[in-house]
Amino acid sequence: MPIAPDVYKKIVTAKLYMDENFHESIDLDRLSREACLSRFHFHRLFTRIYRRTPHQYLTRKRIDQAREWLADKDLTVSEICNNVGFESIGSFSTLFKKENGVAPQSFRHQAWLQQQQAQSQPRSVIPHCFIDTYRLDP
Amino acid sequence: MITKLSHASLFVSDQDKAYEFYVNTLGFKVKMDVTMENGFRWLTIAPPDQPDLEIPLLAPLMGGMYSDDETKAAFKVLLDKGALGAGVLYTPDCKATYEELKAKGVVFRCEPKEQFYGTEAIITDGVGNWFSMTQPKE
Repeated sequence: MPIAPDVYKKIVTAKLYMDENFHESIDLDRLSREACLSRFHFHRLFTRIYRRTPHQYLTRKRIDQAREWLADKDLTVSEICNNVGFESIGSFSTLFKKENGVAPQSFRHQAWLQQQQAQSQPRSVIPHCFIDTYRLDP
Repeated sequence: MITKLSHASLFVSDQDKAYEFYVNTLGFKVKMDVTMENGFRWLTIAPPDQPDLEIPLLAPLMGGMYSDDETKAAFKVLLDKGALGAGVLYTPDCKATYEELKAKGVVFRCEPKEQFYGTEAIITDGVGNWFSMTQPKE
């Protein structure tokens, strides 16, 4: 059954609310109120549109932000865990490793090494064909 | 034996604006962002669910790339017209993504329409390129 345009707008409103407030404690009640839909209808429509449940979407959003901050900021892993909205460092670390293959601290170290190499030797991260074709060598 | 496409370049008129669009608006992830001593900025991104596809955002009108005026002028004409059709962006729901991106100020050449292959809108990146944004038929 097709989804009416005004219903799309409601679901998008809730999704954007999650994008802006992922660090807060958000539950299905809050989201369905944001969308002005019942919990059941909101959950069903959101999952149909985005191919993941609201919880899965929110978790992914938090993990993505954690990845950026681990690479970019001086916050501790615990601080990042709290700031992205996880309540437990244990569950955060487990989920992070499941999504990224490495623990948060290991990810941070790998990102730091990569940044150091890129800053000190930019040519080492650019395929030579680009350097050659666009005559980037002095 | 060639097995994959690992890099696919996009030419853009402005890398800062391209960053704003692809990273901050569409949610692409930054793979590398480093500037060489001659001013050439190696800025590469990847779609959220395709971390192994690296997309260099190349700015032929900015410092460090082509040195001849004829090539730069040719690129300027194409980028100013928004004439470069870069490819197809997959979305799980074209209408929802259209509503969200319109609310964020993205310019579309065509609103979602049903085609034999799915639902398609035509999206512009504001820096010289247009894409098909398609939700494939199931």
